[in-house]
Formats: sequence, structure tokens, C-alpha cells
Amino acid sequence: MTTSHSLAEQLATAIPAARIATDDDSLQRYGRDWTRYTEPCASAVVFPTSTEEVAALVKLAASEKIALVPSGGRTGLSGGACATQGEVVVSFDRMNRIRDFNPIDRTVTVEAGLITEALQNFATEQGLYFPVDFASRGSSQVGGNVATNAGGIKVLRWGMFRDWVAGIECVTGTGEVLQLNQGLVKNNTGYDLRHLFVGSEGTLGLITAVTLRLTQPPAPLAVMVLAVPELSDIMTVFASVRAALPLTAFEFFSEAAMGHVLARGHVRRPFDGSAPYYVIFEYEHAHNEDEAALTVFEQLLEQGVVVDGVLAQSDSQARDLWRLREDISESITPRTPYKNDIAVKVSQVPAFVAELDALLAEQYPDFEVVWFGHIGDGNLHINILRPEEWEIDRFRVACERVNELVFALLARFNGSMSAEHGVGLLKRDYLHISRSEAEIALMRGIKAVFDPQGILNPGKVLGQ
Amino acid sequence: MKVLVAVKRVVDYNVKVRVKADGSDVDIANVKMSMNPFDEIAVEEAVRLKEAGKAGEIVVVSMGPKQCEETLRTALAMGADRAVHVETDAVLEPLAVAKLLKAVAEEEQAQLIVLGKQAIDDDCNQTGQMLAALMNIGQGTFASKVDLADGSVNVTREIDGGLETVSLKLPAVVTTDLRLNEPRYVKLPNIMAAKKKPLAKKAPADFGVDITPRLTTLKVAEPAKRSAGIKVASAAELVAKLKNEAKVL
Repeated sequence: MTTSHSLAEQLATAIPAARIATDDDSLQRYGRDWTRYTEPCASAVVFPTSTEEVAALVKLAASEKIALVPSGGRTGLSGGACATQGEVVVSFDRMNRIRDFNPIDRTVTVEAGLITEALQNFATEQGLYFPVDFASRGSSQVGGNVATNAGGIKVLRWGMFRDWVAGIECVTGTGEVLQLNQGLVKNNTGYDLRHLFVGSEGTLGLITAVTLRLTQPPAPLAVMVLAVPELSDIMTVFASVRAALPLTAFEFFSEAAMGHVLARGHVRRPFDGSAPYYVIFEYEHAHNEDEAALTVFEQLLEQGVVVDGVLAQSDSQARDLWRLREDISESITPRTPYKNDIAVKVSQVPAFVAELDALLAEQYPDFEVVWFGHIGDGNLHINILRPEEWEIDRFRVACERVNELVFALLARFNGSMSAEHGVGLLKRDYLHISRSEAEIALMRGIKAVFDPQGILNPGKVLGQ
Repeated sequence: MKVLVAVKRVVDYNVKVRVKADGSDVDIANVKMSMNPFDEIAVEEAVRLKEAGKAGEIVVVSMGPKQCEETLRTALAMGADRAVHVETDAVLEPLAVAKLLKAVAEEEQAQLIVLGKQAIDDDCNQTGQMLAALMNIGQGTFASKVDLADGSVNVTREIDGGLETVSLKLPAVVTTDLRLNEPRYVKLPNIMAAKKKPLAKKAPADFGVDITPRLTTLKVAEPAKRSAGIKVASAAELVAKLKNEAKVL
């Protein structure tokens, strides 16, 4: 452990020794995200408390060629926050302050480690609203959300995280501190570097603080779940519902997916019977929307597209219904699912889904395939569950063969092989599916400008 | 055997209410309203009794502004047969509600009257008890189990340190506690069917009940903010602070 010892001593010149961890427990915990395909192998975890400390750390890392992995709530699903080759993990857990709130600008500046839910709650306390929302709201952090351009369940109405970023403070690979855009609404002064950092997955710089826009709270939200027998009818339901209601979310999941949530026994089945697929949607309930919703339901029922439905009568019921969708990811984690987070244009969803469904059923009849996702955005989460008797490695190899076929199909539809989970480690070798060679070459060039020593999250997004 | 269920429209349990700037009340503009959760449990219990063949018609009653119709429609969608809306924009105190409920119960000849143990907006926990007293009939409050027999009802009550079972002659008042049941999701076909169920409109004056408030709200204020915690450097310092500052040791 002499090398680790001397590393800790080196790090202590930038970060107080009390905030450097090298114990096994910390290295394991901070060495990985929600994925379980890689073995964590971090050499230290540091907990800076200020931008100055982060800058000092990066300068040290650049001169000593120490690789750094930025780490937020570690809820990522592509291995972007995994330390697998002896990197130093830079955790933002201790940088979680709210720096400034401006009610006139309707912006709030927060440090990168602030938990998403704390941001949402802060906005609500000010009589405003922060709309980007996802199941990991209780542990994910703002910095990680920006670095991965997080999406979630309300993209349909309010867009991705990118759309709410009014400013970024970050430290580049040379230790330089940048203040990007600084909260301005209009700022057409050359390249908008802020947007380069959104979705950069820690490869261009370490995000230390973010200025976010807040908005007017919506009217009270109503939640409905409908039972849909045919996968191909889901987009028919979407079209009808979208035309009639001010939608804020529209999601779908399969009976098999819900089964994994119900098996935990903490929520109830919404109907007495079952259907192969369900949609859950949420709409603003300001005037007479429930009437409109019932009319749509009646029409869909007559068409035979839906067979049953429930409407939450209170926020408590709404939360329970949402859990049917939101708890899927967590409920299938023990089965080491192979995650595909793919997207096509909304107009292409029916054709794409039909082909994908046929392909998976034909090629992999033995695998349990769990379907769910933000289908209103054209985004499907296809999770393939590991048969319990299979070793992880054998399963992973088999899934990579699945990938070949899925991605070939996706390429035909000009889709994205990672819609909102990012590239990280797990999807890195498939980047060419969604990006051209010329694009990837330009990305490498940009990376070299911001991180000339290649110390920032090396091996993520782009191969080394 | 007819069951009467009383339901109240309240600010949704999950809404964090804010006090109006003038301190006169909480601000409920643009806030989600729902059926009082304890009343929802009361409706569910009545429907289950009916489904088990033990209860006949279920009449659901609510008092308050026009929007109470929505709450009544929810109860009808859950399985109640008929609704009575005593419409008024006046502020209703528990005694006034109990008097109105007595009038409705007598008109309906209800054998069992079920309502939430309290409403989550004012937390009064008075209406059920006042109603039983006014009608001079038995009461089983804080029910976690209701067993209906011929001419009587056994109610298991949640009390300090355990459970108590009382046997009441019908007619009787039962107020529901949280563990009695878990209300069902309301199915859309039932919501549509509920629109066709009868909903009778009444006014307090129809029953000759004086609803004039007897209480005046002086002020509504938020709870005091918690002061921030501090970090201590050692166990000794903690003990010293607990002893000398908090004076709990």
C-alpha cells in the first residue's frame, strides 16, 4: 500500500487529509454507479468543499498525471462514474450548498453536489418549480444531472436538464476555472461552451456549480393508468391523449415489468385483471380536464385499444401509481439487467417497436425482456434480465450479440443508442452507431483542448 | 340495511399548505383538493360491507361549496349508490356538521353512519362524537375493524396501548382509523357510471339547522422554524452542551 500512501500524501497538498478516503469500503462504494458490470478499482476518494480545492486538485492531477473520476449521486446507468483503473474519485457530496437565489431572474445557483430533490423542494418553497424529474431524484446530484444531460419522466413537457441550465462553473483539465454564461437569457457571443459541458460526462471538466432556471408551478396534476393489450396500440393511445389533454408525462411499461415491482409487495396492482401493457400519464388539471380525459378513455375503449383504466383520486394514490413505473429499474437490479436506452423519432416508434419486438422474440425467446420507457419522447428502456443460473460474464457476452442486432435496426431508423443514460463505459464502443466518424474525430479534438493531459474521466465516452 | 357515509373535501394530504400573507387562513388557491383520507376509508368500508352482502344501499353525504360534488362523485365511483350535497359557502364547524348529519341520517333512516375519525384540514376529531350524542345512539370511534351482525355492530377501536372491541346496537356511529382498510383505485368505467347516479341538492335551511359559527379564528401562523444544528468537536463538548445549554442531562 506504499503507492496509495504516497498518493494520499500527494492529494493532501490540494485537499485536507481528513477529506481523503482510502479505506476499502469507500473505494468500493464510490468506485461505481448503479451498473454492476465492472469491478470498482479506485485508489482514493476525495471530498472537496470549494471550487478552489477542486482547481488545486486538478492542477495537481494534471502535473502528476493522476486520472480523476467525477462522482455525484452515482445513479448513472452507463458506468460513467465508475473508477475501474485506479483513478481518484472526486465526490461532490460535500459541495451541496445553495449559493444564490434570485426571484427576479427566477434562477438559483447551486453547488454540484446538491441532491435533485433538494433543488425541487427549494423551488417549491419559493413558490416556483423545477420540472426535471426522475426516479433517482432522492440521490442524484445536480452536477451529475448536468454532466449527463439527465432526462426523465417530464421531458415531454419541460425538456431535458440542458434546457434549464443558465450557467455553469467548472474546472477544466488544466485547472482553469470557467464561468460559463452566468445566468444570462440572451448571450450570443460566440460558441456557447456551457452546452458543451452539458452531457460531457466529466470528460471536459469538473462541474462545480450550476445556475438553473425555475418556472411557474403547473396546475395540480392528475394521474391515470390505462391497460393496453397490444404494444402496437400504445402510440394510438398517446396520439389521442396528447390531442385532448395538457400532458406533462406519458410513459409505458409491460405487465412483466410491473410484476417485478408488485413482487416486492409495497404497492398494489391498479386493476383486478391484467393486460400485457400499461400506460401511465399525467396532465395538468386546471379546469375540466377530467371530463376530456374520460371522453378520450371512452373513445379508446370503444376502439378496443384500452380495456381498463384508473384515475388517482389523491396525490397519495398518484404517487403509488407512479411507483408502478418508477420502481421498475430498482426492482430488476438484482437480475443484473442489460440495459438498452434507445430512442427514435416519435413518428417512427410504432414501426420500430414492431420490428424490435419481433426481433427479440425470435432471437432471444429464452431471455426475459422487460419493456418500459418514456414512449412519449420516443425513448424505450429495453432491459434484458439475466437468467438466475447464468454467470454475469456469459450473460454480458450474450447481450452484446443482442446489441449488434438491436443497433443494426436502430441504425436503419437513425435512432440513438443512448437516449438519456449517456455513453460512459458501457456504451462507449457503440458510439459509432449514433455518431459519424467525422463527429467522433471532432469530439476527440474538443476533448484534447479542454483536457490536454487526458486526466478527466479517461476511457469514458471516447476510447483512449 | 342502509349505510350513510359522510365525506369532506379537504386540501390533499401531500400538499404543503402556506399561510396567507394576512395570517387569516391557509392559502388554498390553485391547490390540489381531495377527499379526506379517513372519509375515503369510510366509503371503502361501506362498499366492502355491501360487497359482502351485509349492507344495502349506501348514501354518501357532503357539506360545503359546489366543488364538493367532485368528492361525492368520487365516492359514487368507489361504489356508493346515491349522494346528498348540502350546499353552502359558509364555514361549517363540527357542531353544525353534526346537526346537519343528524337531520340527513334521520331523513334517510340510516342504520349505520360511517365517517372519518377526523378531517385532516382542521383535525377537530369532534363530528362523529357530537353526532352520536345528538342522536343519542352508540359510537365506535377510531375503528380498525368493523363486524356487522343482525341489529348490532362490533367495532375494534385503536386505543392507547392496544385494541378495544365494543358492541353497539344499531343505529350507531362508526368513525374510521387509518388501519381499517386501504381504499381502492377508482376505475374509469366506474367514474363514468357514477355520473348517472343520483345526487340530491339540499341547503342547510332545508333542515332548519342554524350553522352560524361559534368560534372566531384570530390568527393562522406557520410553525416556528427549526434553528440550524451545530457540530461539536468531541463527546465531552456534546455532554457539556447537553448539560449546560440544552439542560437535558
